[in-house]
Amino acid sequence: MFLDLIILILLVIAALWTVMTRSLLRASLGLALVSAILTLIMFNMDASLAAVFELSVCAGLIPVLFISVISLTQPLTFKEAVEHMRSRMARFWELPLIVLILGVILVLLSAKFKAKLPALETQASARFVLWHLRQLDLLGQIIILFGGVFGVAVLFKERKKRG
Amino acid sequence: MTAIALLLTIIIPLFSGVGMFIFPQKMRRVKEALLILSSLAGLCLSVFLFKQDFTFNLPWIGPGLGLSFRMYNFSAFMLLSTGFFGFLIASYSVVFMQGKKFVSQFYGYFLLCLGFSNGVFLADNLLAMLFFWEGFLVLIFGMIAVGNKDAFKTATKAFIIVGITDLCLMAGIALTAHLSGTMVISSINLPLNNTLANLAFILLMVGAISKGGAMPFHSWIPDAAIDAPLPFMSLIPAALEKLLGIYFLTRIALDLFQFTAHSALSTLLMVVGALTIILAVMMALVQKDYKRLLSYHAISQVGYMILGIGTALPVGIVGGIFHMINNALYKSGLFLTAGSVEKQTGTTNLEKLGGLGRKMPVTFGCFLITAFAISGVWPFNGFFSKELVYDAAIERGWIFYLAAVLGSFFTAASFLKLGHAAFLGKLGSENTKTKEAHWSMLFPMAVIAIVCVVFGVFNQLPLNHLIQPVLAGKLAGHNFSGFPASMKLVVITCVVLFLALVNHILGVRAKGSGLHALDHIRYAPGLAKIYDLAEKRFFDPYNWGLGLVGIISRISLGIDRGINWLSDGLTVRLAYGFSSGIRKMHTGNYSVYLAWSLVGMLVIFGFLVIF
Amino acid sequence: MHALLILAPFLGSFILNLPFRKVNKRLSFGVCAALFLLQMAVILIPDFGLNKINPAALANIFNFDLGVDALSKVMLFCIGLVALVTLCTNSLFLKDSDDKFNFINVLLIAVSGMNGIVLAKDIFSLYVFLEITAVASFILIAFNREELGLEGAFKYILLSSIATVLMIAGIALFFLVSGSTHFAAIHSALLAQDKSLLINLAIALFVSALFIKGGLMPFHGWLPDAYSSAPAASSVFLAGIVTKAAGVYVLIRILVSIAGFSLTLKSVLLFVGAFSAIIGAIAALTQTDFKRMLSYSSISQIGYIILGVGTGTVLGLAGAALHIFNHAVFKSLLFMNSAAVEKALGTRDISKMGGLGSQMPVTGLTSVLGSLSCAGIPPLAGFWSKLIIIIALWSAGFKTYAVIAILGSVLTLAYFLSLQRSVFFGKLNAEFKNIKEAGFSLLFPMILLGVITLGVGIFLPLVLDKFILSFNAVLGG
Repeated sequence: MFLDLIILILLVIAALWTVMTRSLLRASLGLALVSAILTLIMFNMDASLAAVFELSVCAGLIPVLFISVISLTQPLTFKEAVEHMRSRMARFWELPLIVLILGVILVLLSAKFKAKLPALETQASARFVLWHLRQLDLLGQIIILFGGVFGVAVLFKERKKRG
Repeated sequence: MTAIALLLTIIIPLFSGVGMFIFPQKMRRVKEALLILSSLAGLCLSVFLFKQDFTFNLPWIGPGLGLSFRMYNFSAFMLLSTGFFGFLIASYSVVFMQGKKFVSQFYGYFLLCLGFSNGVFLADNLLAMLFFWEGFLVLIFGMIAVGNKDAFKTATKAFIIVGITDLCLMAGIALTAHLSGTMVISSINLPLNNTLANLAFILLMVGAISKGGAMPFHSWIPDAAIDAPLPFMSLIPAALEKLLGIYFLTRIALDLFQFTAHSALSTLLMVVGALTIILAVMMALVQKDYKRLLSYHAISQVGYMILGIGTALPVGIVGGIFHMINNALYKSGLFLTAGSVEKQTGTTNLEKLGGLGRKMPVTFGCFLITAFAISGVWPFNGFFSKELVYDAAIERGWIFYLAAVLGSFFTAASFLKLGHAAFLGKLGSENTKTKEAHWSMLFPMAVIAIVCVVFGVFNQLPLNHLIQPVLAGKLAGHNFSGFPASMKLVVITCVVLFLALVNHILGVRAKGSGLHALDHIRYAPGLAKIYDLAEKRFFDPYNWGLGLVGIISRISLGIDRGINWLSDGLTVRLAYGFSSGIRKMHTGNYSVYLAWSLVGMLVIFGFLVIF
Repeated sequence: MHALLILAPFLGSFILNLPFRKVNKRLSFGVCAALFLLQMAVILIPDFGLNKINPAALANIFNFDLGVDALSKVMLFCIGLVALVTLCTNSLFLKDSDDKFNFINVLLIAVSGMNGIVLAKDIFSLYVFLEITAVASFILIAFNREELGLEGAFKYILLSSIATVLMIAGIALFFLVSGSTHFAAIHSALLAQDKSLLINLAIALFVSALFIKGGLMPFHGWLPDAYSSAPAASSVFLAGIVTKAAGVYVLIRILVSIAGFSLTLKSVLLFVGAFSAIIGAIAALTQTDFKRMLSYSSISQIGYIILGVGTGTVLGLAGAALHIFNHAVFKSLLFMNSAAVEKALGTRDISKMGGLGSQMPVTGLTSVLGSLSCAGIPPLAGFWSKLIIIIALWSAGFKTYAVIAILGSVLTLAYFLSLQRSVFFGKLNAEFKNIKEAGFSLLFPMILLGVITLGVGIFLPLVLDKFILSFNAVLGG
């Protein structure tokens, strides 16, 4: 319980850092860190399959994509970075405060969240879940992927110059 | 067969009236033929139906609301009169209207009027009667409106005055139907023992006497006399309106309500009658226009009828109805003489007329007979009906009798003046070449004049066959035909007529002309002021009404502006202000939108938790 | 059979992208139109051939859990109709054949997503299909890659992702409470428990998320920007059906199948509905941008739909469904009118227009039909749905809201009349003397929708009772 709390607090701090840090590079690193801590929580909750997905895709693949895109851009000079940092601080200074207040409220309310949890279903294998129980979702995911890829192709491909 | 004939009396004029509007302008001859033929058909049908007695029902809306017609002696009498006047005046119009504008419209309205008045006379259902009655209102408007250039204003005036009183009639009919529980006229007989019944009587009475043209609902008639086509005056205010109004007043008094002598309502009616006689004839005295003078007499004479019926005595009612038909005869005859004078000389202004007696002898003869009749000279018809009314009036109080006799004096005086100014005296220089009117205009006049004499000399004919059957059962064995019963009253009448003649001769001596023979009354101390005001139409209830309406409309305008400001000004400005406020709130900054959404969510959550 | 409604558009888009693209490009319009027509036919004609086949092989491979009731049928029909109309609009606006082809592909994906939303019986599947629709919508809004369009798409992405977060949190809470994501399972689990804080939170999260997706006030911030900055065809599609399917339909589905109607929830719905209906209409009053005015009008009309839903009665639901259909018809029509005007004039600023009715008679006439239907003037279709909603409000005892609904109708009439006056009536600006009516591919759908508005308005009363009765089953289970 105590460990859970510490990990959660760490998660929040990492997330705050991600939002308020001064450069995009640091932000994408922060994102990876958040995912990594989330993975810890998932392992802790016996959701090992989800944890593996989270670690490999969200903490691994996506930051790599981000960083490779960012490396193509012109990096900020130090002065610009400081300016950027200042403006972010000015815009997001209340964010930690809000998170803190929300946290306190949730902790106070947590006593009231007394759901009668139903008994968990017997653990089915991931394969069975994916291919039989959540078949429709799988189709949906495929369509999303297709659509996303298509969208990127449509929106970011250089169009033919018109005569 | 009879039922079909009965329907035809309404349908033929209606269809041919509509036809007048449909047929092209060029078919003037066809239209004239149609006018004469359909009015003749009306006359023939009414002769055919005479003395029949039956009821004819057409199922219409529902039980009690059927379109039912009843043919009985009173209706037959009225139908006959309508047919008679319709035919005569139609044949007169054909010549008179030649060369005027809106001829086919006038013919159309003319025929429709005949159809609608037949409908009123035959209807045995208040609703059906109201339908025809209101239709008549529209037709009056149309017929006046086709006159000269001021006619439209006069038509509006007539429409408003008659329309308002028709509304009273409508309310009265609704009240009567409510009280009696039926709309069928022949099965209504209400006692006048409560306020509602009295109110209903008064409302119906207002409708009836206003149609008759009694004061204070009269003021459009003198205007119409100048503005409307002359056959209109001869047909509607002189004949049909009197027939309609007095017919319905008689029905109210005799059938619909248990109207008794010495009741307050009876006195009210008599007062209205007496006032109408005196006030209208006083106005007639000073008119300087042939038609306008006649129109005031048309108002004044209706006072005798109302006075007679208002007495609620059999003699009075018989006198009233007899006077109605007599008046219709001689007044339409008089208007027709005015028409032929107008047609031949181009004017009806008495100042420009004079000495026409030699140029137009037939017209002058007809005028003489009808003028004697209206003045109540023995042996013309007016004498007998007036004597009957006098007889009834004196039984209810000497003051009413006095009013009636005084009216008679002034009537005689003003016709002496009219006759003198128009037909005697010096021939106006403009009128030296005037000829007698066309024979087809003289023919109706002559027929009417003859009937005036016949109804006087042989007064048993109309009284026994037409009028007294109406009061069947209420006459208590009386028969009012023959020479008047009271010799004393006849003597007084003779004295009064003699005085009028003396007055005229003295007036002519004093002023030197027939036209100004009555100036000593016009400019008598005390009366002069009143006459001045009257000539400025100060006493016209219509003008008071207009003034009142003006004030009300100004107030309503204020209220309307206020509401308008509230609805169009304030609310619109509020809405637009609000709207642009909302527009300004949409800055396009997504974080603002985000904040709205999150606040909204928290509020919803809070609401769900708390309630 | 219904699995095909999801599969076919996706597979269509997939196959079109296989090699032989040159042939495919030519075929794409026809294939797409045929698919949408088939979808409408399947719904409209119960005896349609496709309804009878249920390929066993397909059933063996795909074990989808799908459900259809009267509400879904209305939605499916609307999706087919609006997609078809969008297709026609698009073919006039995009000159480049590649662009046309791409647009058609995205449209197919969006339709596939929306059909999935409408047919899903599992809350998580529903979420997945919502995301498909959202992704497709982003692409559609940003399709022209103009600055405004990108900005609108970005706002949509941001608020939509917030909605997604709220929704997924809600799903998690439902799952926590019931141990399942199936509608029926959650419903029975919720029935078994008292309304705890957790359930209230889940419902609040879900309802708010759907308010964002549906664009109800005050959750609507993205909507005017996205609608007005999107390309013409995308606006038609978004306003006509996407927000209804992704927001309003899902909301109704969640309420009917999961949460049930409690009095508190009804009050929330009614309040938000009335608020949107009135404020949206007021905001529309002073807009000078043709499409922005229509966007606010959309917000107002969605408010009406939510008012109908908020009664919690069969009548109210039927009214809401009918209004969804009517809104799809007349709002698509109006957005097409605005597209035609924008194409002819090159501007959307109402204050510069005037007297266009003489130059563009079909556009003018159909826009009058659309506006009057939207304002609820008999005998147009919009009258019946508004009438049913108002009657439902009155008979359910929410008389104040019924009066507010009528007031909103007056406001609607007010802004549409001012729009009509300043665009199609009055004096023609000399600058626009030579403008011409839009092309046939825009006129055809305009006339089609105008005829539908009029035809439904006249003939609906004949089948109205049947239509309303069919909603008994929606509410009953």
